[in-house]
Amino acid sequence: MKINAAIVGVGASKFGRFMPDTQLAMAAKALKEALDDSGLERDEIDGLSMHMGWPLGLDYDSVAEGLGLNIRYVNQAWTHGRFVTNTLQHAALAVSAGLANVVACVTAISFTRERDILGGPGDMEGYREGGGTHGEAPHYGLTSPAGGAALSMQRYMKLYGATSEKLAAVPIQIRQHALQNPDSVMKEPLTLEAHQTSRMVVDPLHLFDCCLMTDGAVVTLVTTRERARDLKQKPVAIAGMQGIRSGRDEFIFAPPGLGIGQQPATNIRSRPIDVEVFEAAGVTQSDVKGVYTYDAFSPLVLFVLERYGYCGEGEAADFVQNGAIGPGGRLPVNTNGGLLSEAHVAGWNHIREMTRQIRGTAGPRQIPNADVLQWGTVWGDSVILTAD
Amino acid sequence: MSFKQGITAKPRPRITPDHQPLWDGFKVHKLMLPYCEECGKPHLPPGPVCPYCLSDRLDWREASGCGTISTWVEVHKVWFPAFADDVPYNVIQVELAEGPRITANLIDFGGKIEVGQKVQATFDDVDEDLTMLRFKPA
Repeated sequence: MKINAAIVGVGASKFGRFMPDTQLAMAAKALKEALDDSGLERDEIDGLSMHMGWPLGLDYDSVAEGLGLNIRYVNQAWTHGRFVTNTLQHAALAVSAGLANVVACVTAISFTRERDILGGPGDMEGYREGGGTHGEAPHYGLTSPAGGAALSMQRYMKLYGATSEKLAAVPIQIRQHALQNPDSVMKEPLTLEAHQTSRMVVDPLHLFDCCLMTDGAVVTLVTTRERARDLKQKPVAIAGMQGIRSGRDEFIFAPPGLGIGQQPATNIRSRPIDVEVFEAAGVTQSDVKGVYTYDAFSPLVLFVLERYGYCGEGEAADFVQNGAIGPGGRLPVNTNGGLLSEAHVAGWNHIREMTRQIRGTAGPRQIPNADVLQWGTVWGDSVILTAD
Repeated sequence: MSFKQGITAKPRPRITPDHQPLWDGFKVHKLMLPYCEECGKPHLPPGPVCPYCLSDRLDWREASGCGTISTWVEVHKVWFPAFADDVPYNVIQVELAEGPRITANLIDFGGKIEVGQKVQATFDDVDEDLTMLRFKPA
């Protein structure tokens, strides 16, 4: 089966901290905005791909019931960075296979109310049978996704001579993008000094290496490319996809071969299996005008640049210097301001931004001729979006 | 057992039947590893089968306790109230001489932790039900 799918509408609630709205209220606002954006009617949505649900949010049935949807295809993930991509991919697969005509990818997050789950005594993810996914060891006091990113960055620094000062180039440039986005929660420039003097969270990660904890919803509408051409907006084609890479070669917050957890320590950072998405989309890295990634922690951006072959093993900390990933840089990353500075809507705020970029409606953030963009995560799944 | 258990006390390890021999070993101050009797490889975390060849024939054998720090972190944020007096504290991953890596912490060291540092297992009897693995410089 060939993938035949396009993003035809995006909508969002307001993003912020301690938002008064329920998850369902934020989802309703995002859905209405996405419908308005696409020109579709609510009754045309017959599929739901959920990137929310227990333990952080509502499941598909509450959302369908609350928003008055009549659904014949559901994919249910839970609010976890690992499941952004496959939530979008399930939508693409469902419309390609005819299981649904229009799939709404829904996320609505209230992290400021639910944050106790993200580390400490309330971290049931880290305390479940067999343990958490980020290297958690609660009995040694290691908890929270931040710990996993820190484990990887510490070894990376030692192996390749990267420093916290070099790493700071990531959040500083992503903040520069954010300052051009009125939806961004962070409104002030980030300086190297502010980064370096910010409190240490888990060495080697400073406060500004860690993303925001915010509330917000995004709805993304997916249908076939044929249908997309008849709708209101310039279609954004899902041109190629690859799934999560998993096995003993992988640790969620490390590139292949870094040697975290049970990963083999090798000097091979980008394997053929890591770059299949480019062939699937009929493009190469040099065609990609911007990279979008799950920047929950600044090291993840470095690891993504190496996994997808934008630079070699151990080279990313140098690659990102001198404005390379910032506004007007040679490879802009997360032009919306990312999870680090726009808001943590799990990456769906990035998908919304990619849609705007390909439509050419990103305003002051517009990448010239943004016809090919990559969404790719540190755990290896990816989607290439193109102008149809 | 509630996941909120760590509010006043440090969290206890969650020991599944697959992990039990590891923790039983700590109690008698031995670092035990599950070896596959088919392919000969040890693995961690302890699983019900050999992850390399899927054999059920596992044999727990005492390991040397020698290893190298493969990575480490120092936790500054007080995520667990019960660790408030300990911050900042370290957590290390150790690549054992036998190959698999294990998470623990480093004690009795001179203030500096390095990737590549040689370490030796030591055992801390927390109470009559729990002995924790820790490492000290070799």
